[in-house]
Amino acid sequence: MSKIIGIDLGTTNSAVAVIQGGEPKIVENNEGANTTPSIVAISKANERLVGLLAKRQSVTNPKNTIFSVKRLIGRKWSDPEVQRDKAWLPYEIKESDAGGVEIKMSDRWYKPEEISAMVLAKIKADTEAKLGEKIEEAVITVPAYFDDSQRQATKNAGEIAGFKVKRILNEPTAAALAYGLNKKKNEKIVVYDFGGGTFDVSVLEVGGDTVEVKATGGDTHLGGDDFDKTINEHLVKEYKKQEGIDVSKDPLALQRLREASERAKHELSTSVEAEINLPYITSDVSGPKHFLLKLTRAKLEELVHDYIERSIKILDSVIKETNLTIKDIDEIVLVGGQTRMPAMQEAVKKYFGKDPHRNINPDEVVALGAAVQAGILQGDVKDILLLDVTPLSLGIETRGGIFTKLIEKNTTIPTAKTQVFSTAADSQTSVEINVLQGEREMAADAKTLARFMLDGIPPAPMGVPQIEVSFDIDANGILSVSAKDKATGRSQSVRIEASTALSKEEIEKLKAEAATHAEEDRKKRELVEAKNSAEQLIYLAEKSLREAGDKVPADVKSGIEKKIEALKSVKESGDASRLKEAAAELSQEIQKIGAAMYGKSDNAGPGSAGEEEPPKTEEGTGTSN
Amino acid sequence: MIMNDEVKKPDEGGSQPSPQPETEIDQLKRKLDEYLNGWKRAKADLINYQKDEGKRFEEIMKFGTMDFIRDFIPVLDSFDLALSVLEKEGKAERGVYMIRAQLEDVLKKRGLERMAVAVGALFDPALHESVGEIESGEPPGTIAEEIEHGYLLYDRVVRPARVKLAKWKQELTTNN
Repeated sequence: MSKIIGIDLGTTNSAVAVIQGGEPKIVENNEGANTTPSIVAISKANERLVGLLAKRQSVTNPKNTIFSVKRLIGRKWSDPEVQRDKAWLPYEIKESDAGGVEIKMSDRWYKPEEISAMVLAKIKADTEAKLGEKIEEAVITVPAYFDDSQRQATKNAGEIAGFKVKRILNEPTAAALAYGLNKKKNEKIVVYDFGGGTFDVSVLEVGGDTVEVKATGGDTHLGGDDFDKTINEHLVKEYKKQEGIDVSKDPLALQRLREASERAKHELSTSVEAEINLPYITSDVSGPKHFLLKLTRAKLEELVHDYIERSIKILDSVIKETNLTIKDIDEIVLVGGQTRMPAMQEAVKKYFGKDPHRNINPDEVVALGAAVQAGILQGDVKDILLLDVTPLSLGIETRGGIFTKLIEKNTTIPTAKTQVFSTAADSQTSVEINVLQGEREMAADAKTLARFMLDGIPPAPMGVPQIEVSFDIDANGILSVSAKDKATGRSQSVRIEASTALSKEEIEKLKAEAATHAEEDRKKRELVEAKNSAEQLIYLAEKSLREAGDKVPADVKSGIEKKIEALKSVKESGDASRLKEAAAELSQEIQKIGAAMYGKSDNAGPGSAGEEEPPKTEEGTGTSN
Repeated sequence: MIMNDEVKKPDEGGSQPSPQPETEIDQLKRKLDEYLNGWKRAKADLINYQKDEGKRFEEIMKFGTMDFIRDFIPVLDSFDLALSVLEKEGKAERGVYMIRAQLEDVLKKRGLERMAVAVGALFDPALHESVGEIESGEPPGTIAEEIEHGYLLYDRVVRPARVKLAKWKQELTTNN
């Protein structure tokens, strides 16, 4: 069964998403971008172009470059919106025989849905190429205010493009789905959608499995493009004031300025000041002229203040229409790139007195929500196997009472993990494996699931034997723990049936406990680890002295012995930093053995310390699966 | 992703009244197939995921710097403008060319390449952006003038070359 994709068919840009691994993901187009301009053209070379390529030739081919077709789709010729748009759209439109709209591109007349279909067909082809599979079905979004005829026309566009249109979904509903708000009961949601060219407000009511649109409003000619235009005009004016030069007459200068001001607008969402630096913007009789202006966030906010104010007024009137009060609104969702502007977020927040949702990319949220709907429609696919996770970490007790975790919590099962450990003392012939469960740092605070002994380890210095400990959890949550001495092959194991059979409350309680004790546990563990390494260092120092015998000068020997005593005396003090200090001093002192033995010529030589140092804790030579 | 434990036990065979031996074998065979296929699918999913991740990682290594590199392009533009002004005044110092070359070299090492655009070549919206038209001796619709250089990062367009096109004769006649 092929995947259903979700498409946000926008006025200026479109985006597509699909469910992958249970999460909606945007699918990049052929040009490597997350959005595709909703533009179609027949080029002068008589080629049909869609998206970015159509945009790139729009300046020199305005009559055959069709954009904003969403403003026309499914509308009657007599619609005041159409009459209004007719005046400024650079391409030719006329009334169709059925009273709708027809668009001239090159030498043919097209219905708006045929143009939209070309955008959808590109999306289909690009998505198929990217995903490497055939796509046949889609969910397509439309504004909540679209009437039957506009919805039907959009559906037709999908079908012309070769899709089976599974659902025409409201854009605000899609945005709410992306945030998972459909799972809420009886909530009222406001979606504030400030796009590039249009502004929409919708009030939704979520109840059970349905999302009802209570009211909509907006302004079809208010958007982020107005912001860009205003900033640009301001910069041109300022420059004229400063230098007496009008750059608006110079198309190349204007283009550079447009790009720079758009960059500055984006920059001002994160910083409070942006510099617009365009050397050699133009020239006059006196020579080259440069453009250097600072734009502050405050100035930007002042420039676009009226637009934001207008949007809040519309928002207010839409909410009044529903007979709801601001207090009745449970959630607010921001959509559209322009909502990244802090002043706009602030205005919405001020109006509602609470923070809007805005952590999903506002350019992509509608497409992602459409993919969520597609996933719901796809529903009962058999290949989703429900896999459990271990609710708590599992591990064993190691030297000094530390809880060493082998399998971390939330690991998907079945899973297995192996780690090599060693002995903590010379000639140790057995080890006890204390199987633990929990989130705390110390074994004493964790729950013991089982204990067993592995004996018959041949006597050897501490740190030499290799004990391989394996944890294995099968699909039913049954844990098997085994320990094997790699030298003799002797092994012991235990099976624990109820390792995951904890109630939800128990698990939550254990996790909460771990969180409250985190700092204290960390300190405890740090101290034990310091003590462990101090003990090892003492062991090593004494052993080195013994082995070196008379080769070590008496003054070096007594120096080391003094440091050993010093370390021993602070070992039980419970002060990790003093312990570490004393250990560092001893470890420095030990170097002298090597220096003495290898002579003056090689005072930084390999030194016995480096070669024979056993692993710092009991944890041994590495992990493997 | 965490999924709550709603794994359904498929075992309900015991409650059925004396099943035919064949049906039971068939049933088991069906389950065997289902489980084996599920296992294969899971394995395949993992392998495919690893492949996709590998590809994605490669892309990130290659194109992760794209935004950063794109920010340098206006600097290269400014250099070009400065040099063309200095050339006109006959003051272009060799050192300035060298600084530009230095900057371009650094970016080249990271995969940036300037497009070669020839006057008279066919306009290609995959590589070029038209910013205007001029009357020219070139065939109409072809590139008459390069206004700003275009750049590629490996095979991707970081910025199209901005060009002016030669005017179509047809338009000249319709305009008259």
